[in-house]
Amino acid sequence: MSKPLGDVVKADEGEVFDIELEENILRANQKIADENRDLLRKHGVTAIDIMGSIGAGKTSLIEKLVELLKNRYRIAAFKGDLTTTIDAEMIRRHGVEVVAINTGKECHLDANLIKKAVQRLDLNSLDLLLIENVGNLICPAEFPLGSEKRIVVVSVTEGPYMIVKHPFIFMDAQVVAINKVDLATAMGVELNKLKNDVAEVNPKTEVVFTNCRTGEGVQEVVEALGL
Amino acid sequence: MHEGSITTQIVESISREATRRKAKKVTEVKLTIGELTFLNPEQVKFWYEVLTKDTIMAGSKLIVEEGKGKVRCLKCSYEGSFKYIEDTVLYTPMPTLQCPKCNSSVEIIGGKDCVIRSIKMII
Ligand SMILES: Nc1nc2c(ncn2[C@@H]2O[C@H](COP(=O)(O)OP(=O)(O)O)[C@@H](O)[C@H]2O)c(=O)[nH]1
Ligand SMILES: [Mg+2]
Ligand SMILES: [Zn+2]
Repeated sequence: MSKPLGDVVKADEGEVFDIELEENILRANQKIADENRDLLRKHGVTAIDIMGSIGAGKTSLIEKLVELLKNRYRIAAFKGDLTTTIDAEMIRRHGVEVVAINTGKECHLDANLIKKAVQRLDLNSLDLLLIENVGNLICPAEFPLGSEKRIVVVSVTEGPYMIVKHPFIFMDAQVVAINKVDLATAMGVELNKLKNDVAEVNPKTEVVFTNCRTGEGVQEVVEALGL
Repeated sequence: MHEGSITTQIVESISREATRRKAKKVTEVKLTIGELTFLNPEQVKFWYEVLTKDTIMAGSKLIVEEGKGKVRCLKCSYEGSFKYIEDTVLYTPMPTLQCPKCNSSVEIIGGKDCVIRSIKMII
């Protein structure tokens, strides 16, 4: 990344040098993310990064995904969102190992935190890793973790403009779950308008309508994620 | 929102380079911040000042320029800026991953980086 010392002509005392560095700061995270992905792939583990605002339904979606998939896959979950309620009960009921990741004051998970958390898992007895990112529609997009797929959960209770106001996170997602469809009418939100907004921002993303309380639409999420 | 931790990394990199070259003082740093990052240049400058206090970088000038967002169309090989959509509720037009020329989907090829370009130091 940096140039060798050899290219500097020997300096007189106090001379000013203009040194080209070209060091990409965000690339450091990307590099660790790539290593995470390689490690997980080598062990046949598929990781899914679940992003979205606080209260959008990330934890609820994880619980429903676990219910649907626990007979087909051996599953673990990371919770980066400290407001999350994936609890001991869930672990006992479904045999899912949950690792809490303390992000401190940070507004996102990063690849290095995932790398450390992965070391706590027995990758040989795992097929699927569900990662609940910190509740935030902005920052997690900047920090790939090494997941195979990224899904954004948005809920209709966030109002009709949340997609057009936060376009960037949708550019990084392969799947978008528009959640709490049961409340759409009460919120005066037009579901197809939201779907259309996502399609405008990122024509390649798959949009699924869900109710993560009843499980409606979660099977479609499974298919959209290719699980 | 994460300018504090990113600027810490920036300062560490500069410090590493300055130490390696036995610099007495760092006087100027040029930084490019991509349009598609979530780094606010003003906050990066604020953190830079805070974090370099009492170091050989103290008082150095931080020059920040914006790296333009750039996309490439997989179908018609268009390369250039985003297609933006005007929406009456938005203050600023919304960027999309649609090709401005043929409307099929594009990939992002620029604007997501934060790069330390160069450092001026007294050796
Ligand atoms: N009405 C309704 N409530 C939901 C739905 N999905 C989740 N919730 C509720 O919304 C609240 C926040 O959900 P949670 O999964 O904790 O959100 P998170 O912060 O993104 O993890 C909880 O009280 C859930 O029961 C849904 O589809 N419909
Ligand atoms: Mg949660
Ligand atoms: Zn095109």
